[in-house]
Amino acid sequence: MDPFVLALWAVRLALLALVWLFLFAVARVLMRDVRRAAAEPGAELGRLVVVASPDREPPVGAAFPVDAVTTIGRDLASTVVIADAFASTEHAVITYRGRAWFIEDRGSTNGTYVNGSLVDGVVPLAVGDEIQVGRVRLRLERGRR
Amino acid sequence: MTAAAAVAPRGIVRIRPRLRRREAMLLLIVCAVLGVGGLSLGMTTTDTVTVAGWQLLVIYGGALVAVHLAQSLAGRRTDQVLLPTVGLLGGIGLLLMIRLPQDLVAQDLGSLHLGLAQLQTVWLCLGLAVVGVLAVAVRSDAWLRMYKYTWALAGLTLLVLTFVFGIDEGGARLTLVVGPFSGQPSELLKVILVIFLAGYLAEYRPLLATERTVIGPIRLPPLPYLVPMLAMVALGMGVVIVQRDLGAALLFYIVFLVLLYIATGRTAWVGLGIALGAVASVALYLAFPHVRERVSVWLDPFADPLGAGFQIVQALHAFARGGLFGVGLGAGLPEIAGNLPIPAVHTDFPLAAIGEEMGLAAVLGILALYLVVLERGLRIAAAAADPFRALLAAGLALVVGAQALVIAAGDLRLMPLTGITLPFVSYGGSSILANSLVVGLLLAISDRGIEAPAPPRTRGPVMRALRRGRG
Repeated sequence: MDPFVLALWAVRLALLALVWLFLFAVARVLMRDVRRAAAEPGAELGRLVVVASPDREPPVGAAFPVDAVTTIGRDLASTVVIADAFASTEHAVITYRGRAWFIEDRGSTNGTYVNGSLVDGVVPLAVGDEIQVGRVRLRLERGRR
Repeated sequence: MTAAAAVAPRGIVRIRPRLRRREAMLLLIVCAVLGVGGLSLGMTTTDTVTVAGWQLLVIYGGALVAVHLAQSLAGRRTDQVLLPTVGLLGGIGLLLMIRLPQDLVAQDLGSLHLGLAQLQTVWLCLGLAVVGVLAVAVRSDAWLRMYKYTWALAGLTLLVLTFVFGIDEGGARLTLVVGPFSGQPSELLKVILVIFLAGYLAEYRPLLATERTVIGPIRLPPLPYLVPMLAMVALGMGVVIVQRDLGAALLFYIVFLVLLYIATGRTAWVGLGIALGAVASVALYLAFPHVRERVSVWLDPFADPLGAGFQIVQALHAFARGGLFGVGLGAGLPEIAGNLPIPAVHTDFPLAAIGEEMGLAAVLGILALYLVVLERGLRIAAAAADPFRALLAAGLALVVGAQALVIAAGDLRLMPLTGITLPFVSYGGSSILANSLVVGLLLAISDRGIEAPAPPRTRGPVMRALRRGRG
């Protein structure tokens, strides 16, 4: 066979191979990206999802990341701002100690409820529990990793 | 304010060059593709070992490297995959333009006579300049989010201008001529549309996601906010009726629906949108003969293989001739009576030419490249600091991905053919510049940690009304 024709064959296939090599290299970069995002230490510990909110502030379905110490209240400096007329300025605080969640009422006027029962002192909290602050109900969920 | 910013004197931006190793590695492969592609084309056409159009390939490769270096020197942490991906798409397009007859498009600038490939090189380099400038210089998105209604107005003005002053070309009024320049405003319009939609949806997202209109037993999404949706349908139909631009209308509508879904996460919106779109499509089909013709050509191109179905039939044959690995760059596209088999091969059917000369392997590769662009866009959106940037990134990537999908499906007779370009591959200044704008903006918003998200704006009348009546 003519070496020129053979060489042309090789060049043509090399062109296609290079296009796919590019895609393979991109795929490797993407895989590494995904893995690094999964291993990122800044992943949130948990999240509070708004279940009911008569005034829609925060709106139902909104999710707040929950850190080791999370303050809840009407105060704008709170981690989770609840703009509800029945919530106090400093209403409650959620803490993550060791491997468990706890909630504590900060002397609010209308009290804090976990699954319908009034919080007195420091009360342990589990994933899936519903917290009521004012008329707003929030559910504690596992954080996204 | 970070500690570093506090130490540095005011008004001085510290620039630390940053190596972009991944981008460099990927660009190396792109340059190899350019070289091997030129070699393949040169060997086929001249029967000697030459690289066809090497000057143009070198210029283009140099421009890619220049953008890479500019970003490295500026020290920005922008995405490192987008530029090489788009560069490879542009490179394959450039190889195709070098291969096609140069007199398909020609322009004289003074004593300079520029053919198809040279013009494409000029457009690609201008596009890369746009990408580079946006990626290096844009550090704030406030100018986009604050003036969304102004942008929308500009887009509508552009549309009206095209309607009034545009010239007809191939049965569609798409081209606007200003002095020596001509362009297709619908390409720019799609970028403006995404910016406006991202701004609008980011502001009204909580309302759209939670409010309901209750009519008797039926619970619908909030109807007052349907108005922009209906306006969008109207705009889409207007584009079809006025400009006969089916592709752009479809593209706008797809982008609108997907952005709405991303913003609200409610399938009811999408269902409603698809239903409205279907009704509008049927109405258009019944009302306009040019829509009917497109559909009948799609259903049976062989009914009139030398007339209306000519391009589609030729494109299908081209795909068939190509097979798995193609006949080789420069060896395909047999001329019929001195003409190319597919008249609009450089704008509407580059995929058919690539399918013939580089085969199914390359066609699948190109589709995968668009998927990569889409993936990058969605990843930038997922990592974005606030809803506006997230919606903007998703929408921008989507506009490229959806456009590629619509024209690729048209070329392959999977849906009626609509005359839009294959982003970065097709010949055309407007298309390349508009898509470069998209990539430049994507790169600019992919850089996290330069600017904190903008503070929330003063609330609109709706949110104020919701807040009222509370102590």
